[in-house]
Parts: sequence; structure tokens; C-alpha cells
Amino acid sequence: MDSDITSYAVEGRIGEGAHGLVFKARHLHTCREVALKKILIKNLEDGIPINVMREIKALQLLRCKYIIKLYDMFPRGMSLVLVLEYMCSGLWDMLHHNQQELTIPRVKSYAQMLLKGTRYMHAHYIMHRDLKPANLLINYEGTLKVADLGLARLYWPDGGRPYSHQVATRWYRAPELLYGARFYSEKIDLWSVGCIIAEMITKHPLFAGESDIEQLAIVLQHLGTPTEETWPGHSELPDYHKITFPESTPTPWPDLLPGVEPEALDLIKSFVLYNANKRISAKEALRHNWFRSRPLPAAMEDMPKPNTNKPK
Amino acid sequence: MFSTSSQRKFWTFSDENELARHREKHNLDYISRHGHQIDEYQRYNFFLSPEEERLLLRQYELHLKEFCKRFSPPMPKGVVGTAFHYFKRFYLYNSSMDYHPKEILATCVYLACKVEEFNVSIGQFVANIKGDRDKASDIILNNELLLMQQLNYHLTIHNPFRPVEGFLIDIKTRCCTLPNPERLRSGIDEFLEKVFLTDACLLYAPSQIALAAVLHAASKEQENLDSYVTDMLFRDAGPDKLAILIEAVRKIRSMVKMVESPARERVRVIEKKLDRCRNQENNPDSEIYKRRMREALDEDDIPHTGPSRMSLDTSGVTQVLSPSAS
Repeated sequence: MDSDITSYAVEGRIGEGAHGLVFKARHLHTCREVALKKILIKNLEDGIPINVMREIKALQLLRCKYIIKLYDMFPRGMSLVLVLEYMCSGLWDMLHHNQQELTIPRVKSYAQMLLKGTRYMHAHYIMHRDLKPANLLINYEGTLKVADLGLARLYWPDGGRPYSHQVATRWYRAPELLYGARFYSEKIDLWSVGCIIAEMITKHPLFAGESDIEQLAIVLQHLGTPTEETWPGHSELPDYHKITFPESTPTPWPDLLPGVEPEALDLIKSFVLYNANKRISAKEALRHNWFRSRPLPAAMEDMPKPNTNKPK
Repeated sequence: MFSTSSQRKFWTFSDENELARHREKHNLDYISRHGHQIDEYQRYNFFLSPEEERLLLRQYELHLKEFCKRFSPPMPKGVVGTAFHYFKRFYLYNSSMDYHPKEILATCVYLACKVEEFNVSIGQFVANIKGDRDKASDIILNNELLLMQQLNYHLTIHNPFRPVEGFLIDIKTRCCTLPNPERLRSGIDEFLEKVFLTDACLLYAPSQIALAAVLHAASKEQENLDSYVTDMLFRDAGPDKLAILIEAVRKIRSMVKMVESPARERVRVIEKKLDRCRNQENNPDSEIYKRRMREALDEDDIPHTGPSRMSLDTSGVTQVLSPSAS
């Protein structure tokens, strides 16, 4: 663990995270490619951000093929550098630049990898709270892994603790969060998973609101005005009475996602439910018929192998 | 889980001699780095001896306990336990002459607040500190990274508080011979408060410490839970495991019994000595420290050897482009 920046050859800058730059580098001793995520601590009011702390704690606990690995850490000047598994591409890239690569068998395979990563996190009582295509990275072999656990935190299965509702990227944010819920569960991740699977199939975000209010309006317009039956307790959520939307009846799923096969619709609508308790778990979802019906999920050798040198 | 944790793998030691060896090693390391010109027989006239370091750190553990107790807003027990673990771990591999315990103490508590999700801002935190608060917050923030590094980034701590809850639930459901187990709580809390003034958390599993607390509290209430341990908890475990547990519980209880505050006069002498022999490079009031901090601020760019054109290829960038979590 006594490594520092001299153990790595920095090969380039690959992006900018919330707290600093991300570099691609090679570990000189092992030749392993890594991503160096540099967190600037200088000028940060409260020191090392709590998100960074959460990410470190979560990644140290989770050891799963479908979750990005944290190899090491070291300080540099007034920064902390995290050494992460290098991932050359991601689902966001795939959706924006290589849509034709996303065939149904491959989508099924990515969905399985996403669900396995999610199942593993939830088995360890960690909720990710920000699942979205940009946080699902893909390596050279074509394996999809859950990344960016900066919002991940331990949860208590009895639901007795309040958490911040300011989590999850809008398009993938569960409706209870949109209404300001402070008591929620890992089921918020499963709403996101449903949105992501739908997006992989149709190549369009399922609910793309331009603002938090529009997001809620779109969800309500499609799933219909919530009732005590479809969403027990919804009227007690903190922000429920702050805004009212026109009454609407639910859009049938085949109209919402035209051309999508019934098995896929059945899985998506098991995630995209108002009632969080009724949302299918990652474990159950992996046993869903969609994964066993034709076309079957693609084998690893048939998954796209991203190549970083390809011109865009 | 404790059994697969870094706490068990890296921070649970076999016995007190092993702890003493680590501490002595770092005491001697410091002296050889800073006092090679001083005669071997004279060196403890100037430097702290390992025993003096122990006394000093014990005194600061009492300060840590008091600081947490008075903290506003009230601090959950888990934060206090985690802060104690950090403090003890830090001084297993560092000498108090290198890093002054008053500075590390505050940093341990601050880091523990974050790790245990007890969210207080640095402003709120230093409002609990007497004296120059701006200076205190500088010291804490400057030491935070050092502390994390010295903990080897092993931030997750398994405290005995959760196993205590487990035992109480278990006793309530399975052990009907003990009426009203809730009355054990005050004895348990008192025991656990003291246990952190010992080295027990560097030697034993949190569940063993928790059980020692429960058994201690029961005997204070004139109750006996021996048959609960032998006939229920360890019924299927075999006599070897039971013997190990009984010895652990005995040892933890005797460590707690031996806790005593260091004599005030001795600590005062040690503190005076420390002012002279401490590492000035780590003393926030020294010129050399201030210069080092300025240098660290400048040393901020990762040397970049590759082509200067930014590759827009990978995912990090996409996070900026798609709507982000607010």
C-alpha cells in the first residue's frame, strides 16, 4: 500500500468527476491499466467529501465481478487519489454512439450483469442511489460493471432511518424521491434498473424530464394518477401536496413502449411501479422469463469489445 | 461482516506484547531519527519513554471520551467507538512525539463522524472546541488525509454496540430465566464506556467484547447467564471454542477492572517534555510546518506524460453531459 504517483505512468486525462480529474494510467510494476480519480481536498469546506468516504467504504466491502474495483489509494499534495479498475467504455457511450451494437441478446446480457451487480449490492445492504447509463461502465472484454458509488450507502432493512432525497439522476429517479421521501429503501435502485433496461431496448430514455417537476408530470401522465391502491401512503410524502397534476389514467405499457415484446414489457413494468414494496428484486428479476426466452442473452464472446482507439 | 473485515485481518492482534512491540518500535524509530547525537543513557531525559507515551495517550483517551460526551449535537455511540479505534490504530504505528495527540484526537472524531454518517459540518464540529476555532479546523482538515493513510484506508469499524443488541434480543427470546433483560443496559453502557479506555478492541472481536459487557452487567444485577452461554450460545460449538471464549471474556473483564486515570502531575511533566521533543515539522505553530503546507498546496498536478489532447472517449466525461444528481 506504500504506492504513490511514481508507481504509475499517467497516459492521459479521461474525464472530470464531481471532485476532480480522472486520468488513465498504467501501474509500472504490474503493467495493469487503471483509472486514477483525483479528489482535490484543497478549498473543500469540510475536508474529504462524505461521498468519497462512502465510495471508499462501499468499494472496500463489495467484491463482485459486476462492480468496479478499487485497487489502492494514496495522497498527493492536498489531494487523494483513488486507483480504480480501468473501464474503456460505458453504457452511455453505447447508447449515444453505438446503438446498432445494442441488439436484444446483448441488451439481455447487459441487463443480467446490471442485475447481478445490483443483487450483490443489495445482499450487502448497500443501495447505490444513482444507477444510470453513465455509471455503468464496460471493459475491453465487454463486461458491464456498476461504477461511481459516491452516493452508495448502507441501509437498514427495517427502514427506520431517514436519508437524503436529493439522490439519483432525474431521469432514473424513483417517484418517492421526486416527492421528497426521506424514508425509502433499496427499491429506488430497481426503479432505475427498469428505466435503464427500457432505454437499452428502445434507445430512448423512458421518462426524460427537463426539470424535477416535469419528471414527475411525465411519470404520472404515463402511470396514471396514483391511488391508495397503486401507491399506498403516497399522499403522506413530504412534497405531495406542494403540487397537483391533472388527473390521468395509466397508459397501457404496449402503447408506452410500442414494438417491445410482451416478456420484456412484463419485466419492465415489474420494476416501474409506484409501490416500492411491489417492485421486483434483483434476485427475482434474474429468474424472469425474458432471460430464458428467445433470443437468449448473448454469450460473452458475442458481446461488443469496446476499442478506445476507434475514431468517433 | 466482522469475520471477513479488514478489522479482523489487519487490526486484531494476538496479545498485548504484540501491541507493546509495535509501540516501542515507533518510539525508538522516532528517537533514532531525531536524537542520534544524544547519548543512549541520556535519551529519555529529553525524549518520552514508551511508558510515558502510554500514560500520555491514556490521558488523551480520557479527553476523547469527555469531548464526545459533551459534543453538541449529541453523538451516537458508534461515532465514539469508531473514533477510539482510529486513535488507537494511529498510535500503534506512530509516536506521539511525531504527531501531537490533541491534534490527532480531534481528527479521529471528525473522520468518525463522516464514516458513521453523523453529518456535522466542520463549523459545527469546531464549535465544540475551546480556543482558536479557525486554527482547529485547519489542523483537522490538514490531518484528515494523513489519518486516513495511517489507517491504511480501513475506515469501516465493527463496534460492540450492534452485537449487544443481538444478545439482548436473543436473551429475551430464548433465555426465559432472566426477567427483564432491559435492566442490564446501564451496566452494559458503563462497561463499554470503560472498555474503550483499554486495548481490548485491538485484541478481541466486537461480539466477544459485547458478551463480556452483557455478562458483567448481569453479575452486577446478581444474575448469572453462564448457562445461557454454555447451553444456548455454545451448545454445538464444542469445548475448545467455549474455553477460548471464556478466556476472552475473563481477560476483557479484567482489563476493564484495571482501568485507572493517569496521575495528573505525571501527565503534566510528560506534556512539558513533549513540547520540547515533539517533531516541529508537524507542529502547526512552527515555521517549518507552515512552509510544508504551502508546498503541498502547490504540488497539485499529476505529471502528464501522454499526448496533451484530451481523450473524450470514456465514461467520466459522460457524467458531465447527462443530467446529474442534484
